[in-house]
Amino acid sequence: MKMNPLIVDNVSKQYGDKTAVNQIHLEVGQGEIYGLLGANGAGKTTTMRMVLGLIFPDEGRILYNGKPYSREQLSMLGYLPEERGMYPKVKINEQITYLAKLRGMSQKDADKNLKEWLERFNITEYYGMKVEELSKGNQQKIQFIAAVIHKPSIVILDEAFSGLDPVNVEQLKETVKELRDSGTTILFSTHRMEHVEELCRNMTILHRSNTVLQGNIKEIKKQFPRERVILGTEGELKGLESLGGVRQVKRMENGYEVLIERPETAQDLLRHAMAQTELTRFELMEPTLNEIFIRSVGGRNE
Amino acid sequence: MNNFWTVVGFTARNKMRTKSFIVTTVIIALIISIGVNLPFIIDRFSGDSTGDGPTVIGYVNGQAPKVTDPLGAYYERLGEDADLKLLGFADEEALRGGIEGGMIRGYLVFEDQGSAFPEVTYKAESLGGNTTSSLMLALQTIRNDIILQESGLTEAQRAALIEPVKLGTAQISTETGAETEGGETKPSGLAMGFVYVTIILLFMGIFITSQLIATEVTAEKSSRVMEILVTSVAPLTQMFGKIFGMFVVGTMQIATFVLVVIVNVSLPHNQEMLSGLDINLSELDPMMYVYAIIFYFGGYFLYATLFAAVGSIVSRTEELAQALTPVTILSMAGFYIGIFGMSAPGSTLIKVASFIPFFTPFAMFLRVGLTEPAAWEIAVGIGILLVSIFAFGWLSAKIYRTGVLMYGKRPSWKEIRKAMKAYKI
Repeated sequence: MKMNPLIVDNVSKQYGDKTAVNQIHLEVGQGEIYGLLGANGAGKTTTMRMVLGLIFPDEGRILYNGKPYSREQLSMLGYLPEERGMYPKVKINEQITYLAKLRGMSQKDADKNLKEWLERFNITEYYGMKVEELSKGNQQKIQFIAAVIHKPSIVILDEAFSGLDPVNVEQLKETVKELRDSGTTILFSTHRMEHVEELCRNMTILHRSNTVLQGNIKEIKKQFPRERVILGTEGELKGLESLGGVRQVKRMENGYEVLIERPETAQDLLRHAMAQTELTRFELMEPTLNEIFIRSVGGRNE
Repeated sequence: MNNFWTVVGFTARNKMRTKSFIVTTVIIALIISIGVNLPFIIDRFSGDSTGDGPTVIGYVNGQAPKVTDPLGAYYERLGEDADLKLLGFADEEALRGGIEGGMIRGYLVFEDQGSAFPEVTYKAESLGGNTTSSLMLALQTIRNDIILQESGLTEAQRAALIEPVKLGTAQISTETGAETEGGETKPSGLAMGFVYVTIILLFMGIFITSQLIATEVTAEKSSRVMEILVTSVAPLTQMFGKIFGMFVVGTMQIATFVLVVIVNVSLPHNQEMLSGLDINLSELDPMMYVYAIIFYFGGYFLYATLFAAVGSIVSRTEELAQALTPVTILSMAGFYIGIFGMSAPGSTLIKVASFIPFFTPFAMFLRVGLTEPAAWEIAVGIGILLVSIFAFGWLSAKIYRTGVLMYGKRPSWKEIRKAMKAYKI
């Protein structure tokens, strides 16, 4: 079997007496986006910093295409930090080519790639402008270009879509998907569960330095029981609360959301509702990642 | 190595393009130009106010002929160089009219006190310029002549009395046993001036440029570019690339100033004045230039690494000045030791300071320029400086490597040490 491009092998890291990361193990395949989730302070940043080679693990090792970390590997890593940062007063073409050159590109290639990327995002007019003159969304696009301009094979995206409007989120998301489809290995950290659900195949949820949940997202979802029923009704339904196995009933604009204890209760619920009124919708919902996350970390998100 | 030059190029290019840098350089260059040309400009202005010929001063005919006659003769003897000329008038009324008519600038009034020499008053509408000092000198000479004539001394005795005393000087060195005989003492005014100017340039080159480095590092950290930089290039490469880039910028700036001075000095109107002041730069020991460059290199790299390290610890630009205080005081102390030590270059304080690496660039240069330290002393001073550059460079690199990853409030030394251990640096 081919080795995964990025392997974080049972890595631990301590800061003094505090354990920042405890025995994390994850593997990201080629052309895969891997979700790294966790509340603030769970150890995401430390994990990513170790992957970036900024700090070294106390235990375990990190392999890039089967090889341990070395300076040469920097040119195949791309990094979009959570806190966005560019030189505010330096022209965009200058700072992007500077960063690309530091990662081993020639001035000419860097400039060519930058122009292509600007064209992609339809922002060619920003080529010679200063970062401080741009809107936040466009600054973020520039930052994104800086992270991927040197065609890295492993990309680390830390909160890639935070602070963007929905149009820009879609645009960046499409770009990330294209990167994935072209074979880039992507480690993706975020708080936004819907992005993970849409983009990632596998994920790890960290909580207080430990891995609390890990694996294929579809399989994880199957492990969690379906406990939520959406009922679309015209009229009013009575006596839902009194049914056995119903935990909570929420009145919605076009119907009800019912939380149940066992999936079988859903059938009782359907019969009960149909007897009373006409249904426009009945669905036994999969648990959302949001719910799974909150359950896993015990409601400690933020 | 490639990355190193990329960082150097980027740092230097961006710095030189900033408005503040260009404006500062131009302003300082202008101030230097004005400074160099100031004597000429003043000369020009005062020359204009008196006209091209000598200032004319009036007196009342026959009021004190024993003074006014030799006074007129005194200025006539000076011929072309005379700055004053005397003109006799009938009475004070006529003199006032003369001033009004622009014939004379002022006039002299003599009052006989019964002594050998009358009391003289110079009256004019404006008392500025050199007129009074010129008159003073002239009158003094005339009074001496009058008194000497009355004393009955012989011509030879009078000449001997007026002749200035000759004081020969010779500098000796107790270490080398050498004795330099000559008309002028060493340290000469030229050496003093050179040392003075060089110490100021050293301070500018070292301190101002180093401070810029710290500011840049902190700015990169606070704008979070650092996060990308540290993942693209080794922190050491980045730090030394930045230091070297700024070094290039600083050196070019100083070179510009030196060039401005040279151009201004070699302007024809200043050339004359310089020869008048008897300044000839070729008289300087060429080794002085070499030492100036060595100490500039040494001082710069020692302070620059320190400033970079401090800059890397701080997360916000506002906190930088405070964090820099200890290093700033150190460099200021070096500068003031250099400047105030000029009056006593042989003192123990300067000797001791010249072996403390932070002060060596200033204190040792001072000693080299104004005294004659033994060769081994210079070598030891430079040696200690070099060793400290490596030691502090190494320490700074470690701090830098740690500091750039630490955000939030300024960490204490303990926290930095802890982080270093945790990061395995």
